[in-house]
Amino acid sequence: MPDAATLADWRPKFQNWTREAMPLLQKGKPKDAFAIYPWYQTEGDPFVRITKPATEARFGLVTTGGYSIEGLHEPFTGLPDFGGTPPDFHLIGLDVDPATLRIDHMGYDHRFAKEDHNANLPTDRLKEMVDNGELGSVAEETVVLMGLVPNVEPLINETIPRIVERFRSDSVEAALLVPS
Amino acid sequence: MSLVARGLEFAGIPTALVSVMPMLSTPARPPRQLIRRLNIGATVGRPNDVGGQKETLRRLVGLIESAEGFGAVDKDAKPE
Repeated sequence: MPDAATLADWRPKFQNWTREAMPLLQKGKPKDAFAIYPWYQTEGDPFVRITKPATEARFGLVTTGGYSIEGLHEPFTGLPDFGGTPPDFHLIGLDVDPATLRIDHMGYDHRFAKEDHNANLPTDRLKEMVDNGELGSVAEETVVLMGLVPNVEPLINETIPRIVERFRSDSVEAALLVPS
Repeated sequence: MSLVARGLEFAGIPTALVSVMPMLSTPARPPRQLIRRLNIGATVGRPNDVGGQKETLRRLVGLIESAEGFGAVDKDAKPE
């Protein structure tokens, strides 16, 4: 059963949570707010097998590192959105110039990624694995979004289908997912 | 990120997710998960640690190739 099927049960719990959490967040108490967060209960066990060896397959990469390219992308908001706006994602090419990368995500320490973006955006490592024959190919563009998505409804209903569409249009056959 | 993995898998694209915070990733039940003892912000590996970063990616690919069913986990051993 796709995850969207169980959103109706979760929606009122989330709405109640936002009423309780907002005052805590406004007081600068995010730990207290998220301690009572109603984690979304998934149902169903989606599992598909890869249909060919990795050495022949095309891989896609998703990261929640919150990267933007200076001068190309609008910055991510940087903070969690509690409304119904679908989380956006950016597409970042495998050959991106690291000097143009900006990290908008406020939820993690950027020092590792600023020293070497491969710490959570491993484009160089994946290219090397293609070059030495470990992977068939890698999608030219990485899907980059933000973590910290309290309202999962627009993520499930709108953003994830767009990521699926993106990967299908790029003939991606397996995906590697890297959080921030 | 677990929900993105599930959505891709529901759509027929196999996935593997690396996690350094399994208390956050596991409740949403990703199809395949590599749990590593790495830092937030360096979830593939330490900066400029080419070997360590490739180990993470190779283990993710290995999970995709070898997992027998939903909920497969590869996990770093506890340090001695």
